[in-house]
Amino acid sequence: MNPRRTRIGVDTGGTFTDFVFVKDGQVQLFKVPSTPEDPSLAIKQGLARIAADADVVHGTTVGTNALLQRRGARTALITTRGFEDVLAIGRQARPELYNLNAIKPPPLVDDDLRFGVGERVVASGEVLEPLDDAGLPQLVETLKQAQVESVAISLLFSFLHPQHEERIAESLASLGVPLSISSRILPEYREYERTSTVVINAYLQPLMGRYLKRLKDQSPTLRVMQSSGGSISADVAADEPVRTILSGPSGGVVGALRAARSAGIKNVITFDMGGTSTDVALCDSGAIRTTNEAVVAGLPVAVSVMDIHTVGAGGGSIARVDEGGSLRVGPESAGADPGPACYGRSMLPTVTDAHVVLGHFGGGGLLGGEFKLDEERARAALGQLAEDLSRVTGKRVSIIAAAEGVVSVANTNMERALRHISVERGHDPRQFALLPFGGAGGLHAVELARALRIPQIIMPTAPGALSAVGVLVADVVKDQSRTVMFGYNAKDLTKLPKVFREMEREAATVLRREGFPAARQRHERALAMRYRGQSFELLITKTDGNVAAAFHRAHRERYGYAQEQSEIEIVSARLRSIGLVERFSMKKIRVKKGFAKPLSTTKSYFIYKRDALDGGVKLRTPCIVTEYSATTLIPADAKARVDQFGNILIDL
Amino acid sequence: MKPRFDPTTLEIYRALFTSVAEEMGIALRRTAFSPNIKERRDYSCAVFDAKGRVIAQGDHMPVHLGSMPMAVAAALNQIEFAPGDVVAVNDPFAGGTHLPDVTLVMPVVVKGTRILFYVANRAHHADIGGATPGSMGLATDIYGEGIRIPPIRLVRNGTLDSDTMRLLLANVRGNVERRGDFDAQIGSLKTGATRLLEIIDRRGEREATEYAAQLIDYSARLMRHTIASIPDGVYEAEDALDDDGVADQPVKIAVRVIVKGDRATVDFSGSAAQVIGAINAVEAITVSAVSYVFRCLVGGEIPASAGLMQPIDVIAPAGTVVNANPPASVAGGNVETSQRIVDTLFKALSQALPDRVPAASQGTMNNLTIGGIDTRTGQEFSYYETVAGGMGARPSLDGMSGVHTHMTNSLNTPAEALEYAYPLRVREYRLRRGSGGEGKQRGGDGVVREIETIVPARMSLLADRRKRGPYGLYGGADGERGLNRINSQSIAAKGSHELKAGDRIRIETPGGGGWGKTD
Repeated sequence: MNPRRTRIGVDTGGTFTDFVFVKDGQVQLFKVPSTPEDPSLAIKQGLARIAADADVVHGTTVGTNALLQRRGARTALITTRGFEDVLAIGRQARPELYNLNAIKPPPLVDDDLRFGVGERVVASGEVLEPLDDAGLPQLVETLKQAQVESVAISLLFSFLHPQHEERIAESLASLGVPLSISSRILPEYREYERTSTVVINAYLQPLMGRYLKRLKDQSPTLRVMQSSGGSISADVAADEPVRTILSGPSGGVVGALRAARSAGIKNVITFDMGGTSTDVALCDSGAIRTTNEAVVAGLPVAVSVMDIHTVGAGGGSIARVDEGGSLRVGPESAGADPGPACYGRSMLPTVTDAHVVLGHFGGGGLLGGEFKLDEERARAALGQLAEDLSRVTGKRVSIIAAAEGVVSVANTNMERALRHISVERGHDPRQFALLPFGGAGGLHAVELARALRIPQIIMPTAPGALSAVGVLVADVVKDQSRTVMFGYNAKDLTKLPKVFREMEREAATVLRREGFPAARQRHERALAMRYRGQSFELLITKTDGNVAAAFHRAHRERYGYAQEQSEIEIVSARLRSIGLVERFSMKKIRVKKGFAKPLSTTKSYFIYKRDALDGGVKLRTPCIVTEYSATTLIPADAKARVDQFGNILIDL
Repeated sequence: MKPRFDPTTLEIYRALFTSVAEEMGIALRRTAFSPNIKERRDYSCAVFDAKGRVIAQGDHMPVHLGSMPMAVAAALNQIEFAPGDVVAVNDPFAGGTHLPDVTLVMPVVVKGTRILFYVANRAHHADIGGATPGSMGLATDIYGEGIRIPPIRLVRNGTLDSDTMRLLLANVRGNVERRGDFDAQIGSLKTGATRLLEIIDRRGEREATEYAAQLIDYSARLMRHTIASIPDGVYEAEDALDDDGVADQPVKIAVRVIVKGDRATVDFSGSAAQVIGAINAVEAITVSAVSYVFRCLVGGEIPASAGLMQPIDVIAPAGTVVNANPPASVAGGNVETSQRIVDTLFKALSQALPDRVPAASQGTMNNLTIGGIDTRTGQEFSYYETVAGGMGARPSLDGMSGVHTHMTNSLNTPAEALEYAYPLRVREYRLRRGSGGEGKQRGGDGVVREIETIVPARMSLLADRRKRGPYGLYGGADGERGLNRINSQSIAAKGSHELKAGDRIRIETPGGGGWGKTD
């Protein structure tokens, strides 16, 4: 990437494609309607408006959508003979315990396209049965006949002995279709999760390859946001599309993190509330948490992805009273069509309608008033719900009480999501700030923060385009992992530095080629460790000196106890190499003192317009802050002020 | 309706209590040592009120979930809990189900003295002593099945009772792994207690305890609603286990379901007398199976609280295979008989609900245990696994293939994880094509799993549906019965064998029954 050229962040969303770039030191942004049939069309339209020779960084949902809608390639799988059905059996568990009509998502590779080859490597890395090379020409012929569009290769213990996979790949090269090789994409144990990941990769390769080629023809330096944060080159993304499976949402997290940093806050929980779902993520000490246990479209994805948790609760979630007399909200959603009652086409009482009834939009509608809300219809829909509630409680429930109930239950669903990524993983929410974005995030933030005892909220600027901002500022990242299975002893520990040095050398070369001199590279080492006998590792960033003490401490912090007498195992050495993208600084705004002047006042709230707020000012509460793409609600007993970058900081 | 009932708050507590149970499960899995817990997730976690009534559970193992309340009741009955105590119990005749399942219970105490809740977890330990490695062999009484733990304190006032722990560890194989699993169970309880205390602190003790009670009422209402939707009547069915592994004759399960309004009585009178072989179920298992079946009929989410069973009476005569008296052997009651009870009950209900009830699923868990000395390390090992099979066809859907059904949902051990942990090698793992019963909707296929031992070892198998396949419904064909072999030699479905290095055990699991006549 050439630091002198214009860089543009592009994020494809369901409704709009967002463009963010820096011009004369100023951040500019605009939106173009998305073109779901071929998202590259909207991107071309948008780019035509800006400099032709810009560096584009892209957050995409092409891979995710292809997987969700099962529109990927005709893919074959080559695996160890006897294990052809691992992909179909999975981990043998059924998806829902008590649902007699549950179904397992069918494997991405059909039964007749899963092929076993004679070979076997064992746990020590030794070859028990050599690869049946003689059978490979026949396999190539079969695949040719079957007209497969891509091939995944995943053999048992290939991460200990990749040669068999490599030899198969050489034989298949003549097919001229993309190959996904497990020992390259995910050299880690657990055959189902690895195979699933490699198969997803193969399934998406042709489609993503074509899509990215179209974009690259226009923008040769194209980079793509990957799911674990950071951007990768378009070529890597085309080879390993499984790494882009959460490309879009991870851009949002990066943008959120940047806003938090500008406010001087390191620990944040991000909260992106949309119409049908809400994405939440936890960033600890200024870093983004990642997981290799993600499940997308019912299929495990074991490469590192941001630990973003999605729940089916959003503004469009529908409220009802169930047979047992409990108020339920979602997961059914009114979506964009017909939409909530207040959109004027349905009588479905949704979370958005509850906010309308409670006056949380300040009577101003959405999109700066462009989109009117039908308040009467919202009241009628909630009125019906209030009647249902009255019937089960045996006393009169007002429309306002019903609306408050809907918001509370929606909050509980979202609170569970927030707990899932924080408390359930051993983090204390009191040490975090909540960073809401998306249209409705600001309406729920205060209640949620209180439920989790989060002391502060940061409402970033441009919450509606935060993903594109994130894509633009994301560093270039290359992750490597080597399974070492070292014991914690002097002999094994002396081997560690060499393992890291080798990985660093490889990463440094790649980054240099991508335009990052040594001064703009950073290499972060970590060790995945556990007690011998456990199956889940803790990531320890201390890699020399008393690593054991650091591990015991981390185990105690996370699980409440340590076993200092037990043997420790170093499962893998991990390296994250970063090419530091040039920072563009956040724009400071005019700073004033005292209280900001409300635009207007309703019966219950002061109304502020976001664009009109100066830095440094305090807000009178209870208030509603409106802006083009979002609304923020701040109750009377919270304190709110604007910082020098325009973030609204709410203290609870 | 109680005066303070509020639908919104109820929903909030349902989510809060459930997340406590789920969080306990995650802590347990991530810190456990044995593949059976950390890879296969053969555990369950739950939250109880001060009276020991269950108020929330994680979505773990159905057979545990319905029976854990009895373990907690037994612990409360026999132990005066003090703050910081952890009580262990596995005795099937005092709240347990079979010996490998060890339940730990801890009180949640406020202001130093008052117990407001209990948290409990149950984990299947890969060995609990007895004659055969893995403790799932064919003993003829409870004493041969392993160490029996009545409710006893494992932790007193926050301090591990090391004498007790040493006694336990001296009686089981692979004591390093066992110790790691016990530590993980205790850690998981602490996690649960901490979370409950936070909830109490935040929302107030009074509200938290009131809504715990409300959740029980709520479950009961939903269950009554479900039962009311079943046509009134008397529905009867019979099915049988192949044998008890000792005598070569079927072991009958008989059920008579009486549905009247919003209540049901499930009467197992007429089931076989308890047997010598280890397939006797204690009452907790039978109640658990009934609870599972009715919970499936709810057709939506329902809090897994004590209220579920309020509208249902279970009659299980003592001295029968569905409510055995001591000192019966019971290893297979939990895993095999529980499945047959479900099959029999669904068969009866299919008369009332022809468009909702599936044909029989594989009806066995195919319990395989292998143990001995791992010559690579010189340490004892004990491997336990259950193998998936075919699910019965549904009235409008084929059965799923290669899944665990009904009373279990444990995962498999990945071949790569298994081979790292044990001197064993998976030689084949595939769907057993064509094993599902034909029909308008096809039964799911079973699986084939072949494992080679690379050291001399002793294995036990405890399986069923080897003589008669799982039944089809409404004209659908039965699923294929299961097969078991050592090398090319067919072996009985229940029993133990010595293995030489290089021997291969092959299990082919049953397919599900078909539904409806093929056109």
